[in-house]
Amino acid sequence: MALGPVRERTDPAAEAGARGSRLSVIPVCLAAWAGCVLLNVAFGSKAIPMTEVIQALVAFDERNYDHFIVSSQRLPRALIASFVGACLAVCGALLQGLTRNPLASPGLLGVSSGAVLFVVFFGFYWGVPNAWHGAVAFAGGWFGFFSCVLLARVARIAHDPRNLALILAGAIVSMAYAGIASALVLANESLRAELLSWMSGNVNHYYIDRLTDVWFVGAGMLFVLLCLAPALTLITLGSDKAAAAGVAVKPVTLCALTAAVAGAAAAVSVCGPIGFVGLVVPHLVRPVAGAHFSALFPACALVGAIVVLLADVVARVVFAPYVLHTSVLMSLLGGLAFIVIVKRHYLTVGVAARP
Amino acid sequence: MRVFTGLDQRQRVQIGPVMAPVHNVVAFLGLSVLSAALACVSIAIGSIELDFWDVLRVVSGGPATEDERFAVFTVRLPRILVGFMVGWVLAMAGATLQSLAQNPLAEPGLLGLSQGALLAIMLTMVFFPAVPRPYYPVIAMCGGLAVGVSLLLLVGRHNAGGIAILLMGIAVQTTLSSVSMMLLLYTPQEESYQLARWMNGSLYYSTWENVARFGWWFGASVVALLLVGRSLNVFDLGDQMAMSLGEPASWSKPAILIVASTITAASVSLVGPIVFVGILAPHLANSVSRATGASRLLLASVMGGLLIMSADLLTRVTTTYAYLPIGLTIVIIGAPAFILTVRFAAIREAR
Repeated sequence: MALGPVRERTDPAAEAGARGSRLSVIPVCLAAWAGCVLLNVAFGSKAIPMTEVIQALVAFDERNYDHFIVSSQRLPRALIASFVGACLAVCGALLQGLTRNPLASPGLLGVSSGAVLFVVFFGFYWGVPNAWHGAVAFAGGWFGFFSCVLLARVARIAHDPRNLALILAGAIVSMAYAGIASALVLANESLRAELLSWMSGNVNHYYIDRLTDVWFVGAGMLFVLLCLAPALTLITLGSDKAAAAGVAVKPVTLCALTAAVAGAAAAVSVCGPIGFVGLVVPHLVRPVAGAHFSALFPACALVGAIVVLLADVVARVVFAPYVLHTSVLMSLLGGLAFIVIVKRHYLTVGVAARP
Repeated sequence: MRVFTGLDQRQRVQIGPVMAPVHNVVAFLGLSVLSAALACVSIAIGSIELDFWDVLRVVSGGPATEDERFAVFTVRLPRILVGFMVGWVLAMAGATLQSLAQNPLAEPGLLGLSQGALLAIMLTMVFFPAVPRPYYPVIAMCGGLAVGVSLLLLVGRHNAGGIAILLMGIAVQTTLSSVSMMLLLYTPQEESYQLARWMNGSLYYSTWENVARFGWWFGASVVALLLVGRSLNVFDLGDQMAMSLGEPASWSKPAILIVASTITAASVSLVGPIVFVGILAPHLANSVSRATGASRLLLASVMGGLLIMSADLLTRVTTTYAYLPIGLTIVIIGAPAFILTVRFAAIREAR
């Protein structure tokens, strides 16, 4: 297999070795994130001056209408956007690292569609109430990921160093599950009215209850992954090398995957499947933060949050007074980015003719 | 017709100019008989129950009540025929693409072909609602072809096989499906509902008119099967081997892709996108009887027809208890079959 110039770009091993981790990006990202939160809160159908926003955060006055908007609508929305962006981006970074494939992302590997399918399925056949929404989506995320791995195993493609079977299986599983979910929703009008907006991915302040239900899953994921980061970085160098360096490859991988899928499923359970972030953010961050996971994870989390916050602003402002679904914008961008990534990684000279 | 032992010590059958290994012919006959039997069962079951002799009597035009006639001829028979033909076409497209991409996971849906056809129909419904229904297959075909051609443009003609086109297909599929999501979200509720109906695979709207309309494409797919079979046979040996055997891969691969997009689009215009059959049917057919070239396509196609027929039967039988869309019943029937065949293959290998 001729990897040629591609190896330098995608192989985390080379970069991790050459540059080491770069923790210095984190404070910059943190500042940028804070700025984006303020921006996100300030913009909207009614622009709120920055001073007012900060005042609302620091010294809340319940008789002030602007303060009310900030605390009940804008801030929850910004928090949801940040949470979702962070979870999906970190999960994407891990999946891309472990599968050694630049196309891996939670949306593609069945997590999102599995979660959607479960929520719709249980809602349709057993009328599972909204309170269980999070748990069902969580189980569904697992189910989706598991069926995608199963299909990839079953196909048994012989020479597959970059886990392409997983990518293809993921695409098929996602399509099939999304199709079933939308067929089921179609047969039940009230369910459709209730779920269509969530199913297509929507960042919205009235999902804040769900965020309070699941935020700790996301935080837990980040914590677990950060603890495992050094070992995971070694695993990306090759499982033999990692084992030789004293890493328990299987338990660490399983643990990390469990955490990542849980985090992504939590994100989906809050506001539905959102594309782009999980796929693209790791690509944006890797050249700057290096491929060492202990810098990559936090940087991805922050940049993922920033990307969704900005997309949310765009979705609200561009077509004002209409508010676009943030996710529609993002999945369109995600599709285009996917084309670019395929072009760059699989159609460069010397790589194209691979089986 | 004669039976002889080939150079590889396998029994072969020759019928006119066509030659195939005996086990393939047996498998084909077996699957055909199974399909016919399933069709009989499918005709018999429903809100009006018939037994085997009733089915024969009604179908052969014997004396029958008005209700029986309506059930068999207006409702069940067209649905069975449409199901079989669509399954046939999808499985054939899947098997073709798998040889082309040299990957067992290739699928018409995966390449964005169905999505392109679907989006073309949806855009027409939204922006040109005056266009009458009979033109939809043509529009769908334009959509499917547009996707096929743009895929070729994106990856370059020489990469028409292999992994690049599969990945690019996923990319195009993602982009297109986000556009159709937009249509779904931002059209008025009534219209959105109509669009969503198109987006979901269903055999509910099968009529004789549709059978006749799709019959042409079914026939065309049979012809294509014979034409394409040999090339695929060569591609299965690998690109370099194909070229050294004199296969003009630089144009025959794009041509095959175009054929696959056309027949997929035709099926989408009839029943909407149906995922999974394209992978499942060739795989199952292969585990029944290994074959190459045209016989592989033929076996896969019959298996596809059988799959959709049985999935639709399950949908219809369960309809009084619970609504199971055809996508779900395909997974319910297909996933265990898939896993079982893999287990059996593993056991056979272990021996």
